[in-house]
Parts: sequence; C-alpha cells; structure tokens
Amino acid sequence: MNSNELTETQPTNVVNGNGVHPLIRLAGVTKVFLTDEVETHALSGIHLDIREGEYISIAGPSGCGKTTLLSILGLLDTPSEGSYALKGHEVANLSFADRARVRNREIGFIFQSFNLIGDLSVFENVELPLTYRGMSAGDRKALVTEALERVGMAHRGKHLPSQLSGGQQQRVAVARALAGRPAILLADEPTGNLDSRNGEAVMQLLRELHQGGATICMVTHDERFAQHADRTVHLFDGQIVEDRMAA
Amino acid sequence: MQTLWQDLRYGVRMLLKQPGFTLIAVGTLAISIGANTAIFSAINALLLRPLPVENLDRVVSSYALREGFDPFGSSFLEYAAYRDRSHCFVSSGVATQHSFNLTGQREPERARGANVMADYLITLGVRPLLGRAFSADDDRPGGPPVALIGYGFWKKHFAGNIGVIGQSLNLDGRTYNVLGVMPQGFDLPGAAEIWIPLQTNIENLPLTERAATSHEIVARLKAGVSVKQADVELKAIARQLEQEYPNFRRGWSVKVISLRQDLLGDLEGRVRKALFALVGGVGFLLLICCANIANLQLARGIVRQRELALRGALGAGRCRLVRQLLTESMLLALVGGAGGLLLANWLVPALAMLNPIRGLSLGEFLHNFELDQRVLAFAVVTTLLTGVLFGLLPALKATGAHELMSRIKETDHRSGGAGSARRWFHGLIIAEIAIALTLLVCGGLMVQSFQRLQRVDLGFNPENLLTLKMALPASKYSQYRQRIAFTDQLPERMRNVPGVLSAGITTNIPLEREIAYDAIFNVEGRPPPNPNEVPITSHRIVTPDYLETLGVTLIKGRLISKNDRAEMLPVVVVSQEFARQAWPGEDAIGKRVRRIRAGQTFPWMTVVGVVKDVKEDRFNYRINRPVWYVPYAQVENDFPVNLIIRTAIDPNSLTAAVREAIHSVDADQPISNVMTMNTNLSTVLVTERFGAVLMGTLAISGLLLASIGLFGVMAYSVSQRTGEIGLRVALGAQAKHVLGLILGQGVKLILWGVGIGLAVAWGATQLLVSLLFETKAADPMTFASIALLLISVSLLACFFPVRRALSVDPMIALRSE
Repeated sequence: MNSNELTETQPTNVVNGNGVHPLIRLAGVTKVFLTDEVETHALSGIHLDIREGEYISIAGPSGCGKTTLLSILGLLDTPSEGSYALKGHEVANLSFADRARVRNREIGFIFQSFNLIGDLSVFENVELPLTYRGMSAGDRKALVTEALERVGMAHRGKHLPSQLSGGQQQRVAVARALAGRPAILLADEPTGNLDSRNGEAVMQLLRELHQGGATICMVTHDERFAQHADRTVHLFDGQIVEDRMAA
Repeated sequence: MQTLWQDLRYGVRMLLKQPGFTLIAVGTLAISIGANTAIFSAINALLLRPLPVENLDRVVSSYALREGFDPFGSSFLEYAAYRDRSHCFVSSGVATQHSFNLTGQREPERARGANVMADYLITLGVRPLLGRAFSADDDRPGGPPVALIGYGFWKKHFAGNIGVIGQSLNLDGRTYNVLGVMPQGFDLPGAAEIWIPLQTNIENLPLTERAATSHEIVARLKAGVSVKQADVELKAIARQLEQEYPNFRRGWSVKVISLRQDLLGDLEGRVRKALFALVGGVGFLLLICCANIANLQLARGIVRQRELALRGALGAGRCRLVRQLLTESMLLALVGGAGGLLLANWLVPALAMLNPIRGLSLGEFLHNFELDQRVLAFAVVTTLLTGVLFGLLPALKATGAHELMSRIKETDHRSGGAGSARRWFHGLIIAEIAIALTLLVCGGLMVQSFQRLQRVDLGFNPENLLTLKMALPASKYSQYRQRIAFTDQLPERMRNVPGVLSAGITTNIPLEREIAYDAIFNVEGRPPPNPNEVPITSHRIVTPDYLETLGVTLIKGRLISKNDRAEMLPVVVVSQEFARQAWPGEDAIGKRVRRIRAGQTFPWMTVVGVVKDVKEDRFNYRINRPVWYVPYAQVENDFPVNLIIRTAIDPNSLTAAVREAIHSVDADQPISNVMTMNTNLSTVLVTERFGAVLMGTLAISGLLLASIGLFGVMAYSVSQRTGEIGLRVALGAQAKHVLGLILGQGVKLILWGVGIGLAVAWGATQLLVSLLFETKAADPMTFASIALLLISVSLLACFFPVRRALSVDPMIALRSE
C-alpha cells in the first residue's frame, strides 16, 4: 500500500494483543441503498475489527447484509456512513482507481462460482491480478507457480477452466487470490457451488492457509463451515447480533 | 403445415419481444434490399426490358472510325458493301436523321424525323400501330410523298384520331400523306417523330454523295452469328473499301456494336461497366447487411441456447430447430424486403433523374425506371436469398450443441463457452470491414474521377448563356446570301433585347447532343509524313461575335470579325491544340490551312487567331482535339444554325423575348432545343455522375453499416464479458487495462479487416480503370486516406462499448453469486 495515497486514521483505543492497530477496522459503517425513493438499510452501525492472522466467518440468513459487508471490506463498494481503515489507513473514500490499486495488492477474492475466465489457462487466470501490478514476467511466474503448488494445482497450469472439476476450479480461484500475497483473503460462500466432499476439501485448504499465517474473512450461511473459523460474526437485518470466538 | 404456422406465430412473438433488434435488422435489410432493387430497376430499364424492336439483341449498328478520332455515321458506300459482301446479316437498312419544318398547323415547328429505307423498319422488325409500313414501291426514287408518324405526334397533332391515315402533313414546304402511325415509344433513329421513305437509288448517286457519312446502318444478325464475328467481317470489308476508295477511305475502319449499346450511347462500354460496378456495389452492401444480421442472430442464438437445448431435450430434432430459426429469419427478411420495396419506390424516381445514358432514342423505355414485375420478382428473390444467407449459419450454429444438459444448466458465460461463436462474429465483422473498405475505395476513386472531369477546363464561360437551334428551310433560304443575311441580321436584333449582352451563331454548340461536323485538313507546305495520317479538326462555321459571346480566350491574333466576308481573304481561327499539331513549336499566325474533301477543292485559309482549347465534342471531352472556327460568310453550307446569347440576367427569363425577336426577322422560322448552356452541359457527364453519386452513396452506406456492425459486435462482446470485466476490476484492473482489453479486441478486428480490404480493393479497382479520368486505380493517397477514414469511424463505433466497459461495476463479480 502506498501510504502517501491513504489517510492515516486517528489513533484508536483498540489494539490487538500485540499492541498494534487491527488489520481492518470498520467503525459505524452504514450502507443505504436508494431505489425508487425507498431506502434500504443493508448495514447499520457496523463496528468490526479484524486482526492480522485471524480467520473470521460472517454468517447469517439470506438478505442479512453479508455480501454487502464483504463488498465493503473488499473495496468493491463504499459505505454510506462510517469509516474503514485498512492497515491503519482510511480507505472508505478513496478514488475508484486507488481502490482498484489497493484491492489488487491487499485483498484476495475467492468467489462462490469461482469466476475464472474461460478463455485463459489456469496459469493465466492466477497470473491475471499480478499483471495489473506491472510486475515482471519472471516475478509473476514465480508467484503463480508458488500459489498453484500451495493449492496442489501446479500440474494443471496449461489447462482451461472448462477442463477442470468444480473443486479444482475453486482451488485455482484460491491460488489466484493468494498469489499476490494479499493482506486478507475474502471468501464469499466458497463452497456454495461445490458438493460436500469438494466443499470440505476447500475448507481444509483455507484452514491450512490460515495455519500458514493468512488472514481470512469468509461469508457463509452454512453453520458447519462457519465453525471452521476462529471467530464467527452473526449478522441479522444489517446489524451484528453476535461476535463470538471459537471454543 | 400446422408446425409451420406455429413457427410463424412464435417467430412473430420473438421479433416483437425484441423490438430493438427487429428494428435494426429490418432497417438494415430495407436499406440493402431497397438499394439493390433500385439499381436493378436501372439494369432492367437499360439492359433487360424488351423494347419495341423485335428480338433487339440480334440487331447491330455500325460506326465508322478513323484511328484516334470520333466514331461517326456511316455512308451509303459502306451500306452497299456490307449488304452485298457480308455473310453475317439476315437483313440491313439505312436511315438518315432529318429534322423537318412542320407548317400549316398552329405555330411553325421543328420536328425530328428521318428518311428511312423500307428495309430499315423491316430490319428492326417494327410494324405500324395503324396503317402500313413503307413498301418497296413507296421507297423507289420518285415514289409517292408518304409519311409515317410517331405515336406521340399522332396524339399531339391529330388528337389520336384513327382516321389520320391519308391525312396530309406539310413538311419543309412539301405535302405528305400519312401512311401509318408507329407504335408507342418507337422513335428510331434519333428520337424521330416522322419518317419518310429514302427514295434513293444508291448505285446511281455520285461517289461524293455515296461516301457522305450522315447515315445510320442497322443490320439483323443471322442465327448463330455474334456481334464480334460481325465486327471482324465488317472490319475486313472496311479494309477492302480502303483499297478501293483510297481518296475517301484511307485510314478508316468500322466498329459494330449491338443496337442496345448504341441506344445507350455507350460506344466505349462505360454505361455497362458503370452499371456492373454498381451491381457489385449493391451486392457488397447486401453482404455487409447479411453479415450484420448474421452476427445479431448469432448473438441471439447464444442467448437462446438454453431454450434451444430445452427444445432438443423435449424431442425437437436439429432440422426442426433449424427450420424454426430459419422461419424467424425469413420473417425478418420479408418485413425488411417489404421495407426495401417501399424505399425503392422512393429511390427509383431519384435514380431515373440521374439517368446514365446519353442516347436520345427510345427514351420512353430507357429513361423509365420503374418497379415492374421483373423488378418485383428480383426483390422477392433477393429477399428470400438474403433470409437464407443471414439465417442459415446462425441457425446451424445455435442448434449444433450435443451436450444438452450442460447448456440447460448454463447460467454463467464466464467459464468457457461462446468461443466458436465469437470466432464467427470476428470473421464476419472482418469481412464487413474489408467489403466496406473496398466499396469506399471504389466510390472514392469514382467520385474523384468525376470531380476531375467536372473541373476540366471547357475553354469558355457557360454561365448566362441561352442556346437554340434553327434549320433554315431550303424553300426560303435557297441562296446562300439569304442565309448570310439572316445570320447577319439575327444577332443584331438580339442585341436590342433588354437583358442580352451579345449574340452569335455557330453550326454546333459546344458539347451538344447532335451531329457535330468535322473536317479533314491540309497544312500548307507540309504533306503528312504518313499517307494514312488523316488530320481532322472540329469544323465550326461561326458569325462575328460568336467567339466573344461564348467567352473563349484569345491567345494570339484576332477573332472572326465583321470584315471577314466572302469576297475577302479566307481566314480561320484555330485552337491551341490545332496549332500544336499543325505547326509544333511555331507561330501559327499567318500560316495557311485548307479543308480537304474528295472531289472538291477548298481555298487556303490564313490563320488570324489562336484561341485557348474549347471542348467542342462530347467524345473528346477527356482529351483536347483540334478545332477551327471559320467565318459563316466565307464558307457556304446548309447546316442548321445555333444561336447563342450571353445575357445579363437569368437566360431562362429571356426565352419569350428571344423567340419574338427571331420571329420579327422571320415569322415562320421554327425554333428548337431552347436551353441554357448549363442544361446542355448537364447531359455530358451523365454516366460518370450516375456512377459517382451512386457508388459514393453505396460506399457511405457500407461504411455506416459496417460501423453499426462493429458497434454491435463490440457492444455484444462487452455485454457478454460484463462479468469478466467486473471480475478483472475486482482483481485490481485499472481503466487502462479495461480499455486495452476491449479496444485491443476492436483494433485487432479493424486492422485485419482493413488489411484484407486493401488487397480486395486493389483487385476490384483494376476493373474500374476504364471508368476513371486522371485518377490512378491504385492511387496510394486514396487507399491510405480511405483506410484512415475507415479506421477512425470504426474506432468511433468502438467508443460507446468501450465507455460501457469502463463503467462496469466490480460488484457484478459478487452479484452473480
């Protein structure tokens, strides 16, 4: 992150166990959608800290605001009110281009339906976010190879997504998310399009990544998968109704 | 039948469901089918429609030629030789155009007519509507004074009275009995309204008269004989005549063309070439249109893959599905075709106004572009073919899936799919761009050529000039001094008309659509180095003030003056080209030339002036040829005279006053061809104007359609890739990355299209060479500028899809969850 482009947040009284700022801090975040003069409060007064190395799941029923929260965390959308600090820098009001730059470097996305580009090979799909950084081909290759090896898909680099099973496609999507060594992985229902066996395998992969030091924030409506996380935040009607650590 | 009805109903519903697509497709089809139909109406009128000449395509005309000069009329000498020595013809006949002074009815009138041999009408296979044609007895020397009249003349002068047979007509002071009425529209030769028998025994004529080239020969080919064979045979006979009559026929040849080509005034085949170039043009436009709609249909096919897969799962075979999609395409084509016919109905009159032919005869048929049965049949066939052309490929592509379940379940297009269809999109759009470039280059060259022809220096000022023609009747002007008196008096009288600046008389108006007079000349002290060389000049006999009135530029010496009378030194004013050919590198003033004609001796004429080149003859519009102007008072002739008047005001407003002034000199003098010089000039470049305007219009239409096609493909591509673009943005792609992705795709297609188009255009323009004037078919500037224009417009077509791509919200990546 280029600190010159971000605004340093005011010091807060919340510190993690190591005495440093949390990786992500949402304070009083509200998101209101206006459609045909009807105001829909998707999120209301969200306060949420995510610490580095944490594995957090966001759970709740359909329509509770999980995806809206994830899109704000992923800088795909901006809050109507409140502040968002990433690594201690205010990012809520960045320009479109700056948000793209921050997304590219600090956030790795894992989508429910994998979102691989059909015309690109596995290797090229994983490489895609790195190409937007202006990184040299050699550096890109090293990072892509490392990421594919971590998810066990290095041998499929030249294949097209359509030649892979759903579980394999999601592993490639995970590799793409972590190839750029982001500060946090945001996973939106990562098992939603998978059968239970492949779903379990992906959850195991995320667990391993977390054990390797990755910070993960996962949206899920499935309680079984939510339990994989260290901490579960429950949303209901756009508000956090429960925030508990795993036993 | 019931399933067809179902397909039709479903097709209508699908077209109504997507009004935007339907509107664009129908509009594009209407433009293309309308343009094709309109151009075909011209082809039909000019090349296909039957004319009132029996089996027209077996009838030929012959033109005499002298190397490097105009084609001109034939003589009795040639006619007799062809009749007696040729083996190509069933029959042949000869006619001489002859305008009559019609008196005894209302105001004296000049009527176009002809002296025709009885065999002339027999050869053409035309029979009178009323009465009878000329018999051999009518045609014998000293035969009865009988006449045939045209249908229009009959209606106008006899109110269509069927009792006209046997009634009398006063022509040139002689009474003729009406023998018959010719069928409607027949007016050969030269828009004739009256025909009288030739009544000449050719063999008894003096050689000078037999050799005079003021006649028109028609001949009917024997079965199995081609025009080319006849041409070869007559050329051989022309060589025999050259040997037999060296004083008259040295350096002569002949050209045989079909009568239809002759009627189009198309000796050089330019009309036919221009028409076929336009057929190619509208064909290309139709291909662009088909490619556009095929692309749209392909896109719809992809969108409808689930529906089609579902139908397949429910038991529909591929043929059944193809038939359903083809029914929709046919519906679209039929609606587009109907729109095209409406458009053509509006375009055809506009096209008729641009009529490309110079010929005078059978104008009622040749100038009448209309949507007749043949044109309607063409429109229907074109519509159906178009429907198959743009419908078949998308139908086959859309129904080619074997894995039905995956298609039924398919909801997200980001992971694979649509790749093969995209290749077709791209292939079609590349073809469209290539065709559009070819059209643009051809159109650009023809427009440039036309512009250069328009900029040709005429050598005179055509503005504010009124012209008219008068044939001085031999009954009243039998003595040459009487003609001189008339031509002396008339310009003087004109100058007294308010608004007239000056007036003069000539035997031919520059570039007029009438018989123009030439003369063979001899330069004093310079026998031609080659005995076959026959120097020819445009021969203009003019009164004093004519050249000033015309507005020519005097280079040296003086113009014809009032003092150049019969008893004075014979003088001549020559053009620069004449001087260059006769005395290269020398001063022409004071040099002497004279006219040569077998059996006659003409006096030497001293050059007193040199004028800038004037475009006198239509056939030589593209080159400069020698012209001389000799004083009317010094050269006895009985040619019709043309009055030209320079006015200070709109020349059309002086018509009545000018007529009155002429009739104040001779109350019985008929006047014809009253028109401004600009009106006369507007008939000169008709073929070129026709080709340039239409090809230019087609080229712009092609550019627009190809741009719309590119826009459609790019817009579709962006809509199909919205999820991908959103994903890329979510992964950190900046605007420049998205721009590069979408614009890069467009630029690649454009460059492929332009590259292929340049190669195709180079080949196509080679076919246009003979239509171009001072314009190279492979003009690099034209190719480069057209390519740049096409690239610019195509990039513009990419603008909106690119803008849309740039505004894709990355949230789309999550929304699809």
